[in-house]
Amino acid sequence: MIFGILEMFRNEPLLLFIITLGVACAIGGIPPIIERQRRRSIENDLPALLEALSDSLGAGLGLQQAMMAEADRNNGKLGKLLKETLAESHASTFDAALSNFATKSRSSQVQRVMHLISTAIEQDAPLRNILADMSRDYERLNDLMNRRESDLMGRSILIIMFVSVGLPFLIAFIVGLFAPRSQGFQLEDFNSSFTMFFGAASLVAIGVSGRMLGRMRSALWWAPLWMAVSMTIYHVGVQVIGG
Amino acid sequence: MRSLDESREILYVIRTLDVLMGSGVGLEAAIHSISQGGYGIISKDFAVLMENINKGKPMERELRALLKKAENDGYKRVINTMLNNVTQNTDIIETLRKQGERMEETRTEAVKEYIEELGGVPETLLSIGMIGPIILSILGIAPQLMEGAEELFGTMNQGTIMTIVNAGLFFTLAGMAMIGLKAHTKDPGL
Repeated sequence: MIFGILEMFRNEPLLLFIITLGVACAIGGIPPIIERQRRRSIENDLPALLEALSDSLGAGLGLQQAMMAEADRNNGKLGKLLKETLAESHASTFDAALSNFATKSRSSQVQRVMHLISTAIEQDAPLRNILADMSRDYERLNDLMNRRESDLMGRSILIIMFVSVGLPFLIAFIVGLFAPRSQGFQLEDFNSSFTMFFGAASLVAIGVSGRMLGRMRSALWWAPLWMAVSMTIYHVGVQVIGG
Repeated sequence: MRSLDESREILYVIRTLDVLMGSGVGLEAAIHSISQGGYGIISKDFAVLMENINKGKPMERELRALLKKAENDGYKRVINTMLNNVTQNTDIIETLRKQGERMEETRTEAVKEYIEELGGVPETLLSIGMIGPIILSILGIAPQLMEGAEELFGTMNQGTIMTIVNAGLFFTLAGMAMIGLKAHTKDPGL
């Protein structure tokens, strides 16, 4: 059976290359997903942290004290990161600790907030109001980002499933049923054109769905795998259904 | 592309300007702080502006040049507010706060619109992506299916049909890409 399956790809070096590339790129596509989850978890916790800091400042605590208290209270990734940074900051200045925290978070939201806090401290600006304003701003921003994610995720999966799985299967079924190879139909050029088309269509589908969710670059890591899936479905489908 | 980059950064620039100027920092020092980085294309613009000011060019002229370069409406409005502050000494902080609030409302609306507009993309993409290949696949196998029925349908050359099929597949792909382009051009820039 294994030899039978391998035999189907005997004259398809491009397809074999894309399958290999797809597996390799899929492995490369996992780290951006993990990193994104970590970053979003930190960013979703950020408004609550800013609000708590603002409240603590209002109660008369200093910013450093308030941050330490919040690092103890917060059980999420943000709290853990804050605790680590503050523990390491004993040997340096508080400003350096804020910069270190921003760098470690690898989040542009956290980096902007820390930059603004540093600037506000430098300029002796009303920190409590600034933190409260930023908390509100980032809460709205994160709500919008989460809403975009939840509303468009289903549509993005729908596009990929239909273009990369449904369409090649449907065409393979039509071709295999009406023009089976076992009855002498000569469709090498035709099959080659359609195999290439499904690969390209999958690339477009992945690009569009990635762009819809605002992360096209990390989505493109999965493009070769989906291209390989759709080309394989068509190629194997025609041979299995057409005999 | 520039407009998208500007729209992504402008709200944060307004907040920073608000903090800096609200705590007594002058406009030039606030622009200098933003030009140090962290605000993408706007930091780059401000860095060029500061460089020219340091060479002795008047700030008013530089702001006018930046106004011409800016593409995003919000960014243009902020530069215009700065320009008014330089020429007429207007209350920049209050104006920036109002602009920030308005821009945030606009962004929320833009995201809602984006989600609504993209609602039709999967259906359109699938309609073109499915109907095109189905028709073309039937056309592609037609010469062999109709063999022996030349008197009824005329002679169909497999090579010519394949050229038509290939061109059709190319146009289908181009159509799908054009529909998908909507996801990029309408991006609200979060």
